[in-house]
Amino acid sequence: MKPPRSILFYTQLTFTLLVCAFLIVPVVQSVLAGLTENFMVGVKSGLTLRWFGQVWNLYRDTIFLSILIALACLAATLVLGVPAAYAMVKKQNRWTRLFEELLVTPLAVPGLAIALALIINYGGFTGFRKSWAFIWVGHVIFTLPFMVRSAVAVMNAVNLREFEEGAASLGAGFWRRFFQIVIPNAMPGILAGSLMVFTLSIGEFNLTWMLHTPLTKTLPVGLADSYASMRLEIGSAYTIVFFLMIIPLLMAMQWVAKPHKRKFVMEKPDHFLTPTGGSVMKPAIAAPAFPDNKEARRTMSGTSLRLVNCAKTFLDGTCALLSFNLEVRSGETVVILGPSGCGKTTLLRIIAGLESPDSGGKVFFGDEDVTHVPIEKRNVGMVFQNYALFPNMTVAENIAYGLKVRGIKSDKRARRVSEMLDMMKIGELRNRRIDQLSGGQKQRVALARALAARPRVLLLDEPLTALDAKLRDLLRVEIDVLLRSLGITAIYVTHDQSEAMALGDRIVVMNIARVVQEGAPREIYFEPRTRFVAEFIGTINRLKGRLLRGRLVLPGGSIPLPESYAVQTGENVQLELFFRPEHAVLAEPGQGHLRAAVVASFFMGDRTRLILDGSGDDYLTIETKGIHSFQKGQQVEVSIDPDALLRLDA
Amino acid sequence: MRQRNNGRLLAMFIPAIAVFMAFFLLPLARLAVTSALGPAGVKIYLAAIITPRYLESLVYTILLSVGVTILTLIISGIAGVFLTRNDFRGKRLLVSLLTFPLAFPGVVVGFMIILLVGRQGLIGDITQWVSGEKLVLAYSMTGLFLGYLYFSIPRTITTLMASAEKMDRNLEEAARSLGASPWRVVKDVLIPALLPGLISAGAICFATSMGAFGTAFTLATNIDVFPIVIYTEFTLMANISMAAALSIVLGLITWIALSVARAAAGDTIAAAG
Ligand SMILES: Nc1ncnc2c1ncn2[C@@H]1O[C@H](COP(=O)(O)OP(=O)(O)O)[C@@H](O)[C@H]1O
Ligand SMILES: [Mg+2]
Repeated sequence: MKPPRSILFYTQLTFTLLVCAFLIVPVVQSVLAGLTENFMVGVKSGLTLRWFGQVWNLYRDTIFLSILIALACLAATLVLGVPAAYAMVKKQNRWTRLFEELLVTPLAVPGLAIALALIINYGGFTGFRKSWAFIWVGHVIFTLPFMVRSAVAVMNAVNLREFEEGAASLGAGFWRRFFQIVIPNAMPGILAGSLMVFTLSIGEFNLTWMLHTPLTKTLPVGLADSYASMRLEIGSAYTIVFFLMIIPLLMAMQWVAKPHKRKFVMEKPDHFLTPTGGSVMKPAIAAPAFPDNKEARRTMSGTSLRLVNCAKTFLDGTCALLSFNLEVRSGETVVILGPSGCGKTTLLRIIAGLESPDSGGKVFFGDEDVTHVPIEKRNVGMVFQNYALFPNMTVAENIAYGLKVRGIKSDKRARRVSEMLDMMKIGELRNRRIDQLSGGQKQRVALARALAARPRVLLLDEPLTALDAKLRDLLRVEIDVLLRSLGITAIYVTHDQSEAMALGDRIVVMNIARVVQEGAPREIYFEPRTRFVAEFIGTINRLKGRLLRGRLVLPGGSIPLPESYAVQTGENVQLELFFRPEHAVLAEPGQGHLRAAVVASFFMGDRTRLILDGSGDDYLTIETKGIHSFQKGQQVEVSIDPDALLRLDA
Repeated sequence: MRQRNNGRLLAMFIPAIAVFMAFFLLPLARLAVTSALGPAGVKIYLAAIITPRYLESLVYTILLSVGVTILTLIISGIAGVFLTRNDFRGKRLLVSLLTFPLAFPGVVVGFMIILLVGRQGLIGDITQWVSGEKLVLAYSMTGLFLGYLYFSIPRTITTLMASAEKMDRNLEEAARSLGASPWRVVKDVLIPALLPGLISAGAICFATSMGAFGTAFTLATNIDVFPIVIYTEFTLMANISMAAALSIVLGLITWIALSVARAAAGDTIAAAG
């Protein structure tokens, strides 16, 4: 049941209806007037269509001319406006902004003034002045801003850059991107702009009245003429004709502007795709169908990769990357790990060819120097953080895109697409639109699209960040299986250390535009070189104490140290040492190194995480197996494996 | 690659610039030059402003436009917020009807006013029936005012509905939860949130009213609005330099109004002829 409406509601409704009456009553009157024999007498004089006959005889030329001019105007604004809008969106600098400003000035200058200016300047060209093209020019100047505005708005809204980079990574050149990606995706805006331009041109009077000649009368000019010199019924009938022309246009405009419902797809199918019942997750992505096919394997396994001295300073002075060197063997998976903003994406974009390194930097694929090769010629596969799937194409068309760009025949293309769909286990999504996919499905399509053209290098930029935790774990396993079975060269960027540990043959840890450590996951974890690395990957505890007779002395006790410490540092000095939680255990009373009090305990199912106070400035974090429960303030003893103690640079 | 793309982008830009230069900037510059080429020279601008006939018309037109703008904002603001806030049967139709006159040229608007309050108009019939005296407003200042309202309301309603749509309803609910009365909510939350929309819609409304020609042309009122004065100057008096000077004065006024509003609203404004 709906709640009853308030008085306020009805007051406002009445008000709005009155406003509507003010606007619509005269419209109704004019419709009646155009259909009655004699408006003075009223409807009882009889209904007739004869006024339309008169309008047709007197004014039909104006109707045709108006349509002709509106169509010509539409054509001109499309040809001039859409490319200009694209250039403005792509190239945002002082000049394009200035032009954008200038372009809208016709809206601020009264039509009369523009018309006068055109007459003064071009009135002397008699042929031009007398032709309908003179009116056409005026309409183009007046409507062009609407087309450009509308196109710019939608181009900015759909995140063209992402789609274009996606297309470029699949090998599409400039014009192909413009016609296949930009125009289709900007279509709603272009359509809205077109309807606007057409409608405005049909109804334009201020300019047209000045620019017309007796032989080039448009519909509104004819209307003015009929209002002034014909009987009211004829003017009314003529007005009905005008209404009939604009109503479909207005309806189309409303239809275009209405937000079209998107089919909502739940995330569920992702989890259902795989049997998750058991304790071991089995990846949904199948091993590739061609592991034994030598040819396929060769093209898939990709190239080795070398970055020499690649630095990147952006125009605004941001130094996103300091001189960077990296070598990746063919078939290796390297994970670039680092906190947000450290330059990972920039690095990946340099490898892809979306950014060029500062001069001096070089990128090699195998022995080939690709530093100056544009992305569309590099033959890389790229998976973007937000996937950059083309919304104007189906799943299958997205996957086929890179193949199409490369001119691969349609039967071969179809075979390859099916192969990829099978491999990613998304065959049933083949004909779906992109907005009908869930996050995990998009992820799979993005992978399939990137792999379809057998890239030399696969580049993945935080591919799992947009997904929820459970899906993330699942897809991580799938990607791992996939990369290993394909044996493709892959660079995987992430800020998530658990992802990095699980995936990489090698991890490159970055911080503030530089590499801080590089190595196998175990090496990075157990032998972190700096505190940053130690803290970024996993949990680490700090012990701050004094070295006395071979022991590290702390407020809650002391730990025996290996010989080497005394030799290196001497007696009675301040020392900072670190250890991982798993290198400490709870000890029986009287047998541990340190006594500490429980500050907090977190039951985690298979183990319990304890936060302890007792070693000085910092709390310690350790983990214990077993089913004990702990009280806050409870005294415990801890033993630490002396060989696992680390010394780290700040 | 970047260099090549720059070239291509420039190539996509040039046709629009060329047409724009040739058929807008150049003619407008020529207009400015022409205005100063008459016997009076640059002083023509002084004459354009202080000659009583022009000045009177300019002041009239500005007052008319300001009045229309204020009333339009109030009417469209109430209706626009109401329509975004409430859902009821027939709302879509109501919105369509309210925006239908958006596409009418000024002459049609004038004709609508004649049908409404002219000699054979509905209001005339009603008043004659009620009081025995026919009320005819179409050819007076009131008629003109109604005509300007007629073309301004549909334009502003859409803009204001769009900005009401964007408004965060939580703000209003928060104010209510803090004990604000409905009037305070309107004053402290609603109007500030709508302000950018009100400013830009108001500016468009003002600029369109200043330059409106067709409505006054059809109503053939005895009050000459500024565009009619320019038109008369050009066609009947053949005083081209004065017509040019007056157009430039008018263009400057509307352009300044829109620029100021844009700076104030911090947003781009799509005006409409
Ligand atoms: N086009 C750009 N112009 C200026 N600065 C940029 C640009 N792209 C990235 N940056 C800056 O470079 C740094 C590194 O960015 P990014 O590579 O995106 O980091 P990450 O991917 O590791 O989060 C950041 O400080 C970012 O603000
Ligand atoms: Mg990034």
